Amino acid sequence: MAGRAKKVPRSSDLNITSMMDMFTIILVFLLKSFSAEGSILTNADNLVLPNSESKKKPQEVNLQVAVTNEMIMVDNMPIVPTEDVRKIPADDPDPAASKLEEKLRACMAQEEEMVRVGALNAVQGKVIVQVDKNIDFDVLFKVMNTCGKVGYNNMNFAVMERDE
Amino acid sequence: MANRQRKKAMTSSDMDLKPFMNLMVVLIPMLLVSAEFAKVAVIDIKLPEARGSQTKQAVTEQPQEDKSEKLLLTAIITDSVVTLGAKGGFMPSLFYREYHHYVAKDDKEDFTVEFEPGKVPKHPKTGRDMQIFERYDIYLYTCDEQRNTLNRLYTKFNELVTNTAYEPVEKVNVGDTVLALTNPRRTIIVKDPSEFVLKPLSAYDELQNRLMKIKERYREAEDGNDIIIAAENAVMYDKIVQIMDKARASEFSNISIAKLRS
Repeated sequence: MAGRAKKVPRSSDLNITSMMDMFTIILVFLLKSFSAEGSILTNADNLVLPNSESKKKPQEVNLQVAVTNEMIMVDNMPIVPTEDVRKIPADDPDPAASKLEEKLRACMAQEEEMVRVGALNAVQGKVIVQVDKNIDFDVLFKVMNTCGKVGYNNMNFAVMERDE
Repeated sequence: MANRQRKKAMTSSDMDLKPFMNLMVVLIPMLLVSAEFAKVAVIDIKLPEARGSQTKQAVTEQPQEDKSEKLLLTAIITDSVVTLGAKGGFMPSLFYREYHHYVAKDDKEDFTVEFEPGKVPKHPKTGRDMQIFERYDIYLYTCDEQRNTLNRLYTKFNELVTNTAYEPVEKVNVGDTVLALTNPRRTIIVKDPSEFVLKPLSAYDELQNRLMKIKERYREAEDGNDIIIAAENAVMYDKIVQIMDKARASEFSNISIAKLRS
């Protein structure tokens, strides 16, 4: 009888030790992956960036161009299907996707306007290009050429950092 | 009586974990929010305006104005060859065979197949066509002109082993001095030849080896940090990024891109 009375308070004791162990491991793991900057780039679902050994962190930029297998996007707005860019003849000496060029010119004009009102120091012409790793060089070249034509000469390719 | 005493002693040795728990409960959500799981980096591409929008005409004009001591190092990549060229001429081409490493989305089956243009690889068990986004890696294995893959020694850290003349080696003996392909190269005196493994020679590693040789010889060149990567239309972006990585590893940091016109 006395034994049963004893059991009741003991069973209400929660064994925290194992949970503590778990928490400690999670804490260490999260501390390791801590980043104060957060990520500047947002990427689409069907866009797989190539792995690279580059350690350079993306700086703040005004413009993002993303190239997936289906669409080319500027600042997450779909602009032109990638298929259309593929169709531009390969021997064109100065290939440019007209819709993309139009959009980029608008962005450039906006940047120039910002310089005029004093929000920016100078037109930087900086762009981060996110390209899916299975895109062929042909499309990449045409997109780069279009960017260069408009005046976005400071190009950065976004890549995934290899974890080693 | 004895029982009660023992119980007392036990409870007093228990740590009071409540404050620690409180701390954890606050810390973990905070760190979870600020954690960065996929690290994104960038590669700098330098496009000086004159070079960035170079048209066919500009390319043909270039040789006349160029009488300086420029190296004009170019890596040319097509679907089966990587070649390094400079103003003085070309290095022997590096033939490669392309293998693709797939991981199936549904059953996580992973396998490596040789790439054949226009042919979609099949799942080894179910036989379905593999999707392009299931391709994880592209391996380029160096081969000779008869398309036999070349095997060379690697260290256990997956670094290419070369002899002191910077040629990749197939066999080492005890007491040999070899170099591991890192930047700068690491000297190893062989104690145990079984430490090294024979693996297909990656074209990327051989490219880095050659680039480092060039870097050593032409450090003084006016454009000693510049490299132009010229690719054919069908070359995958992934390969270009890998080559850029190798270029940067061999201290050619100023990378620009050109196109091969067929």
